Amino acid sequence: MVVGGCSYKMTKNWFLRGTLKGIKTEKFPAADPLNPPLWPSRLNGSGDVQCPTDAIKDGIWDEQRCIFCRRCLPNYKPTEEQDIFTVRENTNEFRKSLNIYFVDTGSCGSCNTELSTIFSPRYDANRLSIFAVNTPRHADVLVLMGVLTEMMKEPLYKALEAMPEPKAIVLLGTCSITGGIMGKGVLLPEDANLILAGCPPSPYTILEGLERLKGGKK
Amino acid sequence: MDDDHRREKENKNLLHDHMKFHYGPTAGGLLESVSMEFSTPGEKISSVSVNPAFKMRELSISGKSINDALLMVERINGYHSASFQIGFLTAVEKALNINVPDDIMNARILQLELERIRSNLNVMERLCLPAGFGVPANQLSFLKEETSRLIGNVSGHRYFFGTNLPGLCRISVRSLNDRIKEVLYDYEDILDALLSSKIFVNRLQKNGFIKDERMIGPAARASGFPIDARADSNSLDYSNCPFSLTLRDEGDSFARFMVRAEEIPVSRDIIISSSQKIRNNLIYEEEYNGSGNGISRIESPSGDLFFMVSIEDGIVKSLEFSSPSIVNIGLFKKSMPGNVFTDFHFNWESFGIWLSEVVHIK
Ligand code: SF4
Ligand code: SF4
Repeated sequence: MVVGGCSYKMTKNWFLRGTLKGIKTEKFPAADPLNPPLWPSRLNGSGDVQCPTDAIKDGIWDEQRCIFCRRCLPNYKPTEEQDIFTVRENTNEFRKSLNIYFVDTGSCGSCNTELSTIFSPRYDANRLSIFAVNTPRHADVLVLMGVLTEMMKEPLYKALEAMPEPKAIVLLGTCSITGGIMGKGVLLPEDANLILAGCPPSPYTILEGLERLKGGKK
Repeated sequence: MDDDHRREKENKNLLHDHMKFHYGPTAGGLLESVSMEFSTPGEKISSVSVNPAFKMRELSISGKSINDALLMVERINGYHSASFQIGFLTAVEKALNINVPDDIMNARILQLELERIRSNLNVMERLCLPAGFGVPANQLSFLKEETSRLIGNVSGHRYFFGTNLPGLCRISVRSLNDRIKEVLYDYEDILDALLSSKIFVNRLQKNGFIKDERMIGPAARASGFPIDARADSNSLDYSNCPFSLTLRDEGDSFARFMVRAEEIPVSRDIIISSSQKIRNNLIYEEEYNGSGNGISRIESPSGDLFFMVSIEDGIVKSLEFSSPSIVNIGLFKKSMPGNVFTDFHFNWESFGIWLSEVVHIK
């Protein structure tokens, strides 16, 4: 982009460089995602499969158990649909802004990076008034990811205790929901306000799920 | 001892007493859970201890089929999943005397280099953040996301999960060459602008200096040690790739940043040359049955990744791997004394450590 004869490649001023690059953010969730991944996305199909997590039983696919390993191909196929989340309780209190603090209770690292990706230019969660905070004392929402290890129990409970009311809990990724193949889930899914399926959930799923938790509509 | 003497000694102790403070296991600046204890007499850090066990997972792998073990192995460090899949499968193939076709080898090299580009961009971005360099951090983060999307288009999964199986490599290299050039189009310009900032460079130079014979990966190459499994391991053959070793001598956080930065175009060129040698969705007919022991050594984005596997009648009897992050944690601890606390984030991030690699395998 060239503005007033100045290209972003020519200037060392970071503010100008940022501005001259133009807007990179997608309109999602108001519009369809531009580059949805195949895995994870909603699976469609039928037939008997050898599923390592029993995510398919009697022909019904359970997104919360699925680790998106592709073993059920070609009977079940990905649809690219990213709305694989469940909002259990829609909390009106966070309509204006949502401050999130995350606790990694035993993840492989990918759930962590997908969560931080929602703050990157393509997704820019801040435009939807979703912010990451540095302490549970400032948080409305605790996002949990990974299986629950013995040593992370205490830090997790301390973080929960430190949060002011009202507070919400989000389970992000199969490990935290059901444990998948890597261990035990963090909480019973019934105890969470929002459950984001995926291994790891894509930034689209995370962003739309959080926006819906805030009370936003598609 | 009279009172004056005692008081003098107490004052001296007080002066030399070290204050200790904790950081973690969860904190806003940390991507993963880890606990650290810093000891300082005032400004400079005299020692740091790191407890990486908080998020240590227990994985029961022995007794599993190769395919089931692979599902867990690819989720040890999800950010470097291709390295873990390929390292494990290579050791299995050595154990079972399986010869893998050349185009599968090239497809594996291509995945490792895509993974390395993203991982290096991640380290660079995370080094910009504590310096308050929001614009370049966002620009690098944008390139990182474009690389993740490219990985998703090439392999079906943004982290390569489920891409490599015994006898199968699920990739599509259609228009990959144009895409990777497009993704990195602005990269050198962002790097040039970053390097022209004295504030940024000063935060990294002389921070976390270390030279130690035990060093591996980009940290070793930043301290002048020519260690790179791409050059000196026969697990994957890079001899026909446009690969050259990146070496620097300063041994500080800046050198570690620069090695990562300079290796990105090298990886891009390797991807372009490898993609011309492979077909889409490669299938090869081999029986992954039988018994034997095998080892592999590949260059993950954080350094040497060794696997040692024992297979009995197609079942994994035992599995061991050496984590580059555990080695790097030791080096970080050694490099920290003498630096001030505000240097800590730069130094920690410059090693590209992943706590997820700290697992207990049963
Ligand atoms: S993708 Fe894997 S975990 Fe998910 S339903 Fe299919 S077989 Fe089961
Ligand atoms: S759900 Fe999947 S991506 Fe997330 S921590 Fe578990 S294994 Fe990793």
